[in-house]
Amino acid sequence: MAATGAGEGNKAAAGSSASLHSKTLLKSEPLYQYILESTVFPREPDCLRELRLATASHPMALMAASPDEVQLLGLLLEMLGARSAIEVGVFTGYSLLATALALPDDGKIVAIDVTRESYDKVGSPVIEKAGVAHKIDFRVGLALPVLDQMVAEEGNKGAFDFAFVDADKVNFLNYHERLLQLVRVGGLIAYDNTLWSGSVVDTPDEPLAAATREFNAAIAADGRVHVCQLAIADGLTLCRRVV
Amino acid sequence: MATTATEAAKATEPKAAAQEQQANGNGEQKTRHSEVGHKSLLKSDDLYQYILDTSVYPREPESMKELREVTAKHPWNLMTTSADEGQFLNMLIKLIGAKKTMEIGVYTGYSLLATALALPEDGTILAMDINRENYELGLPCIEKAGVAHKIDFREGPALPVLDDLIADDKNHGSFDFVFVDADKDNYLNYHERLLKLVKLGGLIGYDNTLWNGSVVLPDDAPMRKYIRYYRDFVLVLNKALAADERVEICQLPVGDGVTLCRRVK
Repeated sequence: MAATGAGEGNKAAAGSSASLHSKTLLKSEPLYQYILESTVFPREPDCLRELRLATASHPMALMAASPDEVQLLGLLLEMLGARSAIEVGVFTGYSLLATALALPDDGKIVAIDVTRESYDKVGSPVIEKAGVAHKIDFRVGLALPVLDQMVAEEGNKGAFDFAFVDADKVNFLNYHERLLQLVRVGGLIAYDNTLWSGSVVDTPDEPLAAATREFNAAIAADGRVHVCQLAIADGLTLCRRVV
Repeated sequence: MATTATEAAKATEPKAAAQEQQANGNGEQKTRHSEVGHKSLLKSDDLYQYILDTSVYPREPESMKELREVTAKHPWNLMTTSADEGQFLNMLIKLIGAKKTMEIGVYTGYSLLATALALPEDGTILAMDINRENYELGLPCIEKAGVAHKIDFREGPALPVLDDLIADDKNHGSFDFVFVDADKDNYLNYHERLLKLVKLGGLIGYDNTLWNGSVVLPDDAPMRKYIRYYRDFVLVLNKALAADERVEICQLPVGDGVTLCRRVK
């Protein structure tokens, strides 16, 4: 991810937008703001900040990934030397842009969402301006059929370095089965919202919390992956495919 | 954690803190230098325990469990790397395919073992700590795990070792990964040297960069002496790393805060 962020412009933007990102699993809001203000916002590329702020005014803004999370995703992609990625759940395209920035010029991302309305309206212009739109192959539709089709296509098995899943939680385990065929051995699958605001312990019987707990237990027991569950954003679980 | 010669005086701080903790009657597994009721940087102990019980302990190698238990009995155990952090390090090493690594600050060797287990058979770790005794406490677990041969342990302060390495051009850009969990007042000094020794695209991890969350406390808030003493160094470190264009960074609330730096220049 290009680190082009230093300067006064950033400071002003950071100050006004700090309160936009207030869901955290950390022990205090100020601690989270500290991370954002000292390490995230000063290094945020202009286009990513633009898309972050544009997304923040969307009525469903809570669906978006958080800035510290996309910074990590970008770093992971670069560490992996990733060239190809899958994104399940796009919304305005904030994490998609972060991914696109981290891939080389001939990198490719298959981005799947049931609608491209928010993407076309909010993210696409920024992504075009950033010069990385050519890396994105947007597929509209329910993710399961799209993924099934990808698995069936020649040459897709083990062809991807990375996948980010930020979509309907009830289908995570179904996506997992397909992604384990599409992502290469040694590649990474990242699942968002795996701590579900802490409800996994606060209200464990509530349906979505229960589904999340079930997912967490299942992948922790899945010998095909090594896992690491980070309490960043709303809980990000990294799965490295080993078999 | 402490690796400079002058650390001897300051070394009493973690000891004093540990004694404080024991006096509180905290019988269960000791953790980092956290307050009572907050074993981690997370909003609740229950949430942290959930992560440990769900994703960490079921996958923790036997040798690491053993080393963790041996360390828990040690009076200075608040210096140890937490289990979730060990798992994270393990994953990082594998993701980047690291082979030649370094660790500054060993204590009983929990993060060292996590690293050693993740490295390939011919992987190496140059490990430095001013205290060999603590390392020897954990060494039997590391030997039993069959990975002790990957470790080159040097007793003593780290700066002279780093300076020696730098003196030989051959060592420049030769390391894939370095984990620094040591004296906070020397992190920036280590940083300057590590940026020469780590390869372009290589990774440096700095531990304790959220310093128990004290980085956001007002100056007059009550805090333990050694927390207050090193807090300024941590604040300066975080500012410096964020402004350093030679690295891309990411600060994660794993353990006591880990800042990952990927060398790009």
